[in-house]
This record gives sequence, C-alpha cells and structure tokens, in this order.
Amino acid sequence: MREVKMINRIQTSLLTVVEDIKKFYDKRVWHFLTLNGVKLDSENTEIQWIFSRYGTIDEVTMLYTSVKQDEIIPSIVEILPSAIISQREIVDMFGLTVENSEKGLYLDEDSEQTPLSSCGI
Amino acid sequence: MSNKKIINIPLGAQHISLLEPVKFRFSCENETIIGVESDVGFVHRGIEKACVTKFKYDAIPYVVARVCGLCAITHSLCYTTAVENLLDGEVSRKAKYLRMLMVELDRIHSHMLCLSHTCENAGFEAMFMQIMGDREYVMSLQEKITGNRVQFDYVTIGGVNRDISSEIIKDIKTNLAIVKEKVNSYIDEFSSNWSLSLKFQGIGLLSLEEAYSYNAIGPLARATGLATDVRSETEYLPYKEIGYEMQTAHSGDIHGRNMVRLAEILNSIQMCENIVDGLPDGEILSKFKGKPNGESLVRLEAPRGELMYYIKGDGNAMLNRVRIKTPTFACIPAFMEVFKGANYGDAPAILASFDPCLSCTAK
Repeated sequence: MREVKMINRIQTSLLTVVEDIKKFYDKRVWHFLTLNGVKLDSENTEIQWIFSRYGTIDEVTMLYTSVKQDEIIPSIVEILPSAIISQREIVDMFGLTVENSEKGLYLDEDSEQTPLSSCGI
Repeated sequence: MSNKKIINIPLGAQHISLLEPVKFRFSCENETIIGVESDVGFVHRGIEKACVTKFKYDAIPYVVARVCGLCAITHSLCYTTAVENLLDGEVSRKAKYLRMLMVELDRIHSHMLCLSHTCENAGFEAMFMQIMGDREYVMSLQEKITGNRVQFDYVTIGGVNRDISSEIIKDIKTNLAIVKEKVNSYIDEFSSNWSLSLKFQGIGLLSLEEAYSYNAIGPLARATGLATDVRSETEYLPYKEIGYEMQTAHSGDIHGRNMVRLAEILNSIQMCENIVDGLPDGEILSKFKGKPNGESLVRLEAPRGELMYYIKGDGNAMLNRVRIKTPTFACIPAFMEVFKGANYGDAPAILASFDPCLSCTAK
C-alpha cells in the first residue's frame, strides 16, 4: 500500500486566525498556497488557509475553522498581500463576507450568485 | 502644490500584446505607472461547480483537461493523482514515465509560445513565426502520443489511455534533437540581441524579497533567485530519476524570465530523452478500487508554476469539493506589484513576460 502524505491540519478560529498566522508564517519558510472553502452543511463552511514549506517534500499545513454564513472572516492581507485574490474568490463563490475583500472578481450582477454555496452538502 | 496629473489608462480586456481577456487599469503619472487595478473574470466558466454537480469523479480528469489548452495534461494529472491518493491501487512506473513525458512536452511548447510572444512584443515578427513554426515539432509529438494536439484525454485514473510505440519513440528523439538545436540558437539570440531581450534588463523587476512577499511561483519566482519548483518538492513523479535540474536567475526582470524559460526547455528536452531511453516495461493502466473518501491535496509544476488540486469526497461517485488553484491566478497580486513604477510603454512586454493564462485563471 502506497504511503499517502497527510495534510497537517491545525484548528483555528475567526478570533485568533490572524494572530495564529502571524505566529506561524515566515515568508522565507512557508509558501501560501491558497484560501479554500468547503461547504459542511447549509449553515457552515470550513475555511482553510493552506501553506506549503519551501524545499521540503510534500509538507502542507492547513489552518482551518468553521464559519457561519453571516460571520465576517478576517483579512490576512496585511501578513500575506497575495491572499487578496483568493479572499475575493471566496466572497464570490460562497457568498461569505471577508474583511476588505469586495465582491465581483468573477461574477457579474446578472450571473448566478454564490454558485458554490450549496454544493457538496 | 503638485501640478502632476494622474491619468488612468486601461490595458485590455482585448489588447494586441495578449489575446486573452484580462484588463489592467493603470494610474499613470506622466509615463510612470503608480497604481494598478485588475479584472480577470471575463470568461469564468464554473468548472469547479460542474465537477461537483454534473460529473462523477472518474469523468473529471477529462473535464479539468478543458480548464486550459496549454497545460491540459497537468490539470488532468494533478486531479487524477489527488483521486488516486484516496483509492486503493498503484500506478505503474511506465505510466508515471509516460505522464512525465507529456507534462514536459507541455512545458516545452508552452514556454516556446511565451518566448514567441516576447519576440512579437519586441517587434521581431520573423522570430515570432519561426518559434511558432518550431513549436509544431512538439505539438505533432503530442498528437502522435495522445491522439490530440491540445486538451488531451490521455491521463486517466490508474495510468494513461494509450501506449507508446517504437515508431513514436523514434519520432520523439528526432523532433527533440531538432528543437534542441533551435532552442540553442534562440539562446544565442536572446543573450546577445539588444532589441529582442537585452533592452529588457532591469525592466519589469520583481525582487527576491517581493517574490517571497507576494508568493510568486514558476519562472516568475525562479528568475528572482527564489529556488522553488514543485518538481523538487513532491514525489508523485520520479523527477530525480530523469535528470530534473532547477533553473534560476537573479535579475528578476523580463530578460531573466526569458533566460529561465529557455534553460527550462533544454532541461525538459533532456528529461524527455531520458524518459524514452529508460522507459520501463509494464502495464500502462492499473485497476484502482473504491470511491474517493476523505480529502487530498496535490501540487504539480505547470509551465507557469504551481498548480494545486484539493478534493474532498465521502465515498460516493460525486465529490463534495474540487478546488483548483492555478498559477496565473495566484500570481495576479505579484503581477500588479511588478507594474508599479514601470513605464507604461513597457507594460505590454512586461505582461507578455508573465506568460499569463486567463483560461486557467477563469476556470
């Protein structure tokens, strides 16, 4: 049986995620992969901040937390400027609110709105 | 009181330097770009949603190959590897070698396309056509191996769909020998011709610090000296066995990006030659049992940098989530940083040097 490298999952919360990433993230060590959303049920979405370690084999760390549709996800752009693009994607695709991240990256007003908000549950 | 006037100038959504729908809006003070906004969502196709509502997991390798015409094989392979991680089975060494062969051929012709556009932007129409013509040697090989020039339905769960014949191996060796000679002549041109590339030294600069800060990837990062390449950070494919060598530069400018791509083409040709010389015997397709249950994240190095697929399943034929992170999408903030401080007249050449793929971006 082939060995499968697992993702190192670390639970965080909306209150502490910015501080957790500040403590964890060193730009010369960790590479920010993306911000991801996974619908858990009709009310909750798991938000994942995913990082890989430079120069090591398959070392992936994921900070995650569950958010409700009306909660505000804090922005990490001050720590990671490149996160703005995936924050905006989450806003469009899941209809979630991310601090300082405006709607309209992909979807026009006449498009289907929040297309992934009901997928996978 | 300053009397400097800020002028807003759009580049795109359709522009002669890039025939793909991306729009940048530059705020310029005289000729200098001081602010940038971007719009990348003109052709969003909803492929992530389609993957969890319309298609079963074993059909998705052929769906995600449609994300991009240039790196189709990397998309289908990245997804397929993520699914295989959640199933019971083993991909044969021969299938892995054939997968690597196609990924590297994709990289060669994609880099050639970028370099040809660089020539076009510099006014070298003849060299643009020459490189596009030479690129056909690679495209024809892909057609012989997979049956199609682009958007190949070649990689499937468990291996690949077509075996390779001795005649095709002979063609690979012949065509790649020609391409290698051509690429060496391009290297001479790009490293000695002022109008083509040397004048772009110091233009479109991204520093090593900025590359780290903006999480730059692919040739954009490697041209700054940031030694990152998924081929050296994963073990899904045995790249060490076939002679992979990371190519970097330190200038971080357009010229540096050109030279990194040229060096990568030569390394990819060498790897393809090693693959066909050392092609293992065995099956091309293995049986995999079960249905995807759990989460899997796989990264592969596409021509433009790191491609990532995250999938989550609960043991059914339909997946709960397919997340696609494409290289150009991830690099948009870095692109915007490079434009700041540049001369507006250099913007088309800078944009072409990013080798952006809007098909991937608006997946």
